Amino acid sequence: MSTLRVSNLQNESSSNNQIVLGTDGFATVNGVAMPTAGPLSNRNLIINGAMQVAQRGTSSTTNGYGTVDRYKASYSGGTVTQTQTAITSGDPYDEGFRYVLRLTNTTANTGASANRVITQKIEAQNIANSGWNYTSSTSYVTLSFWVRASVAQTYYVNLKTSDGTSQNYSTSFALSADTWTKVTKKIPGSSNVAFDNNNEQGLQVHFVVFRGTDSTTSGHTLDTWAAYSGSDIVPDMTNTWANTTDATFDITGVQLEVGSVATPFEHRSYGDELARCQRYYQHFATDTANAVYLGMGIASGSTSARMFMPISVAMRTTPSITENGASADDQIDSTYALSSPSVIGSTASTVRVQFTTSGMTGGRPLQLQVGTGESITLSAEL
Amino acid sequence: MTRYKLQQLDGVECSVLWVEKNMSIPLNPDNTDYQEYLAWLAEGNTPLPADDPAT
Repeated sequence: MSTLRVSNLQNESSSNNQIVLGTDGFATVNGVAMPTAGPLSNRNLIINGAMQVAQRGTSSTTNGYGTVDRYKASYSGGTVTQTQTAITSGDPYDEGFRYVLRLTNTTANTGASANRVITQKIEAQNIANSGWNYTSSTSYVTLSFWVRASVAQTYYVNLKTSDGTSQNYSTSFALSADTWTKVTKKIPGSSNVAFDNNNEQGLQVHFVVFRGTDSTTSGHTLDTWAAYSGSDIVPDMTNTWANTTDATFDITGVQLEVGSVATPFEHRSYGDELARCQRYYQHFATDTANAVYLGMGIASGSTSARMFMPISVAMRTTPSITENGASADDQIDSTYALSSPSVIGSTASTVRVQFTTSGMTGGRPLQLQVGTGESITLSAEL
Repeated sequence: MTRYKLQQLDGVECSVLWVEKNMSIPLNPDNTDYQEYLAWLAEGNTPLPADDPAT
C-alpha cells in the first residue's frame, strides 16, 4: 500500500484546484466541503431551516410558536414581534434563501428575568438515529446558520439535552450591525449526553438574543458540555439589543448535521418541508370565499356532533385541537355552528373530535367545514 | 379565571379544554399541552368540572 501525498488535484488542462486536500484533514471538491460523517442526503436535522413554512401566519406577537413552523420565539419582559420576512438581496439570498425569521424588539426590557430566545426542539429519536456517536468527545455535529442583527454585539447559541441528566453546551458569535454573517460551530459529543429513541423532546437549539442575569453568570464556561442549570445558561450578556426599541434579529439557513464540517445548506422543496412541519402542527383553513370540508361525522344528538378528520401526515402524538368558527353541514336543513371541540380519539391518519352545537337532528350525517376566516388547528409540538 | 375545564364523552373524562385558547387537549402524556396541564395541576390548581351531559 502506498500513499499519494498531494495538496491539490487539477485536470492537466486546468489551472483550478478541483480537489483540495486541506491541512485540516478535510476535502473540498470544486469548493464544496465534503461530509466527514453521516449520510450524504437528509443531512439537516433542523426542520424548516430556510424559514419557508409559516402555517400560523407571517407576523405575531405570540410568546411561543407564532409564525415560522418549528421555531418557538419566546420572550419575557417588554414585547417582541416575530415575523416571517422575505429577503430580496444579500449573501443568504445569493445562496437561495428567500425568508428569514425576524425578531423585532417592540418594547425594550433588560430586566433580570427578561429574555428573547428562538428555539427549535428536535425529537430524541431524530438525534438517536442520526449517526452521531454523541457519547464520544471525538464525534461531532456541526451547526451553521446565517444571521444578521441591527445591533452589534455578542450573541449566544446553546444546545440543551432532555434525557438523562440534562446537559447544556453554549457558544458565542459576534455580529457587526446590519451585516450578514455565516456562523459555523463544531460541537463534540460527551459521555454525559443521552438521547432516548422515542418521540419526545431530545435536543433543544436555542438562539439567545438576550437573557437577563437570572439565567446567566459571569463565570459561565463556553464551548463545553456541562449539567444544565437554569441560572447559568450563557454568560452575562451585553444588553444593547434588548435595550434598543425596534432592534431586529434575522436568522435563516439553519443546519445541524453530523460531522465536523459544515456542508452546503440542504435546500428542500416547500412540499418536503411542509410535510415535515405537519408532523407537529397542521392548519386547516380556506383562502377562498368557499368553505372547505375537512371530515365527516354524525349528529349524536341535538347538541353534539362527532366528527372524523383525516390527516395526511401522521403526527408526533395525539394532537391538541383548536377550533375557530367551524360548522357542521347536514346537507338537508342547515349548517350548525360548532364550539367546544373535544378530542376523543386519534390514530396516525385520523382525529376524532366531538363538538357542541344546537338544533340538530340526531342520527344525521354531517360534513365538517370551515369558511372564510375560520380554522381548525392540530398541534403536537414539542 | 380557571384556565382548564374537563371534557367528557359518554360520562367518561376524555380531554381537557384550555378555555382561553378554545383548545382541547387529549389525555396523552406525550402531548406537551397535557404535560403543561399536569404541571398546572401539580401547583395545586383545580379545573372546572365537565358540563353535565344531560344539559
